[in-house]
Amino acid sequence: MADALHPADRARLAVFLTPAYLWLTLAVFLPLSAMLFFSFVTDMPGDVDQWFVTLSNYGEFLRNPTYASLMWKSLKLAFTVTILCILIGYPCALVLAKSVKGRTREALFLMVILPFWSNSLVRIFSWAIVLRGNGVLEKALNAVLPFEVKLKLLFTTDAVVIGLVHSYLPYVILTSYLALQAVSDDLIDAARSMGASSLTILWRILLPLSLPGLLAGAVLVFVPVVGSFMEPRILGGRMGTYYGTVIEDQFVAVYNWPLGAALSFILLAVVLVVLALASPVLRKAKT
Amino acid sequence: MSRAFLTLSGRVWLGLILVFLYAPIAVMAAMSFNASPFYQLPFEFSTVWYQKMAANSQVLEAALRSVLIACVTTVIATALGTAASIALFRYEFPGKKVLQALLFPPIAIPWLITGTAMLILFFSIGIGRGTPAVILGHVALALPYVIVTVSARLASFDRTLEEAARSMGADTWTVVRRITLPWIAPGVVAGALFAFAVSFDQFVVSYFLSEPGDTTLPVLIYTAIRKGFTPEINAISTLIITLSMAVMFLAARYSKFGGDQ
Amino acid sequence: MSRVDVSHVTKKFGRMTALDDVSITFDDGGFFALLGPSGSGKTTLLRTIAGFHFPESGAIQIGGQNVERVPVEKRDIGMMFQSYALFPNMTVADNVGFGLRVRKVGAAEEKRRIGEALDLVQLGAHAARYPHQLSGGQRQRVALARAIVTNPRVLLLDEPLSALDKTLRVDMQIELKRIQREIGITTIFVTHDQEEALTLSDRIGILKDGRIVQVGPPREVYDRPINAFAAGFLGEANWIPQGQLAGLSLPTAQDGHRFATRPEVLSLSAEAPEAGRNGVTGRLVQRVFAGAMATCIVEVEGEAWKLIARDRDIPEVPGDGQVWLSWAPQDTMAVAEA
Repeated sequence: MADALHPADRARLAVFLTPAYLWLTLAVFLPLSAMLFFSFVTDMPGDVDQWFVTLSNYGEFLRNPTYASLMWKSLKLAFTVTILCILIGYPCALVLAKSVKGRTREALFLMVILPFWSNSLVRIFSWAIVLRGNGVLEKALNAVLPFEVKLKLLFTTDAVVIGLVHSYLPYVILTSYLALQAVSDDLIDAARSMGASSLTILWRILLPLSLPGLLAGAVLVFVPVVGSFMEPRILGGRMGTYYGTVIEDQFVAVYNWPLGAALSFILLAVVLVVLALASPVLRKAKT
Repeated sequence: MSRAFLTLSGRVWLGLILVFLYAPIAVMAAMSFNASPFYQLPFEFSTVWYQKMAANSQVLEAALRSVLIACVTTVIATALGTAASIALFRYEFPGKKVLQALLFPPIAIPWLITGTAMLILFFSIGIGRGTPAVILGHVALALPYVIVTVSARLASFDRTLEEAARSMGADTWTVVRRITLPWIAPGVVAGALFAFAVSFDQFVVSYFLSEPGDTTLPVLIYTAIRKGFTPEINAISTLIITLSMAVMFLAARYSKFGGDQ
Repeated sequence: MSRVDVSHVTKKFGRMTALDDVSITFDDGGFFALLGPSGSGKTTLLRTIAGFHFPESGAIQIGGQNVERVPVEKRDIGMMFQSYALFPNMTVADNVGFGLRVRKVGAAEEKRRIGEALDLVQLGAHAARYPHQLSGGQRQRVALARAIVTNPRVLLLDEPLSALDKTLRVDMQIELKRIQREIGITTIFVTHDQEEALTLSDRIGILKDGRIVQVGPPREVYDRPINAFAAGFLGEANWIPQGQLAGLSLPTAQDGHRFATRPEVLSLSAEAPEAGRNGVTGRLVQRVFAGAMATCIVEVEGEAWKLIARDRDIPEVPGDGQVWLSWAPQDTMAVAEA
């Protein structure tokens, strides 16, 4: 049970904690509240003299099917990217956690997660250079393959998916690796001594025990991808209109901030639903 | 035999993933040294794009602004975050769990939402766009990372050390300064490097909060990319990614992130 | 149920030789303890028999079949780990049934054998629990049930009792012995606890630096250690100084052997012993009372000798502490120097 704090301690506690949380309030929690408010007005107060409280911004989402279909498109994109990240990243985490040992493992792990902390915009741009028509990938393939291929990958949905997988893959590897590393090697040895094949060990022991970590990684991929706008813009070209790019437009091109605010909040609601669905398993991951 | 085969294919898979992760960056870096403005092959070595970049005052200004913002963000976020971590570690009080949970939204909510929300609030209370707004936003995004990193280090701190110091007559400030801070120093350094990386690599929030024509480097690059690709962008990008990877490499060394420990 | 033959097995990890030309036979249905200090290779030997490691050279036979290149999952062994290694995501029944499921014995058969195994370890009522809901001793029993439920050819135990506290440990030793007798399985048991090895096994092998030092029944290894290491590792030895050898009745011994006694064969007296007993003189340095038993330290020509006896059998010693220590001649051990 928490002891009652000494008054002097209480003062120190306030001095230590207040600045950080005041800052978070001013720069995160107040803005989110302000956005919620503005999503219910007709115009930005201050811009015009007359503004009303209204539901029409949310009504717009229902009235115009474009928004719903773009939301669906973004969800599909996020789903595809998440599944690919799991399929590619989980085996990689498995190899890192259970096959490689010692210093080699540490070095390889660092190499895998290093790009994840480097500039995502720059990494997306690097894919544009690789994927463009007559680009390096096409030249390389044509040098190896006997027949002529035209990739025409840039400005397609595939390019967007490749770029996003590249951006978010390290999340899945990181969280799965940490979960797998926590599974004692004795359990694997025990299963082997009882005659289990590698597949049985994966299916009945490693996968169930690392599932919270894997799911945490999946959520960390899914949530930002639903709201991505920079990646589709650079790699998707004309195909790159998604829910995120429409929100971006409201703020930097169309200047309909109340509509943008409403669209952002609908996105936030979707994100919260995803987090809520995942939370029973995620809570396990923390313990 | 099948185990050996599995081990081998695992290594191959890992190798392929490393190629996937690094090849585009390597290509981009190589192309920044290619003389052709249209990325034509064969490759012809040249530093012309770096010279052009060095002569471009807009790029230099943006680069300087990015570094400045990252440094200010690092100092503020590290100081506030470390203080908060110590308080969260040391005291038990009602609402502590809530405060810890409040660190989650800034990390989990897509930056597009946070960024546009900041834009709306800062405009309506008169802060508007510009460097102060960007710093305000960056610090808020970096704070949770600092608190999480420092708290992780604190978790391995032996509280009896503090009690021993107290039993010898040290007051709270002396205990923090002489015992607690030296122990968590590696965590603080790692947290500071994370904060630098979050700010220096930040695009989304900077994009919404910076004044057009008065932007950070990533925003400048984004604007340039949308006008068309030039090897000059490659040159800037190569420099940025080298710098941020170096910073993260140092952070990982300090925090021993995910190693065998 | 099978006999295990290890012949001329060498296992290296990098430049370190963990097992150096080891040959040893484990009899069918026997309870065998591998004993040695840490780093002696006892666990490596067990894991090589299990099939986690393949030896660089040498042969391993289980029930007459060569298995040194067969991986562990095909070797049909049962193993119990120091950490128990129970699967935290499965119930007790699922843990025990894991090996049966892998062998696809069928649902009804699986259920019957899980029940039998749990009854054998007296945990029938806990089938639906998860490992974290069990006590240390109960987890131990589940691990044992899981290791034997598939009727493996050999049961391998890697320090299975070392995580338990002393009282529980003694209970489990008795339990383990009972179950091993009941099913008659060839059992190989790794431990660093000498007493445990002596209590449980019907044969003991002592290892040092990757080599077998001595193999034999517990009493033989204890009473007739072949060298100083075996004598010192399994119990304690009092070395008879050269100057005291004259007049003692000693066993015949080769060159390079020294003579020693165990602490518990000695009697302490103020007067010289009766004829027919060996005796040395020394000065009583310390007497430690420990309830029923007592320990005395006696200085014999610069060597510190130890005596363990019932406290009531040790007489009071007059002022200067000069005493005789005596023992029956057949209790003298001839031990090789190295």
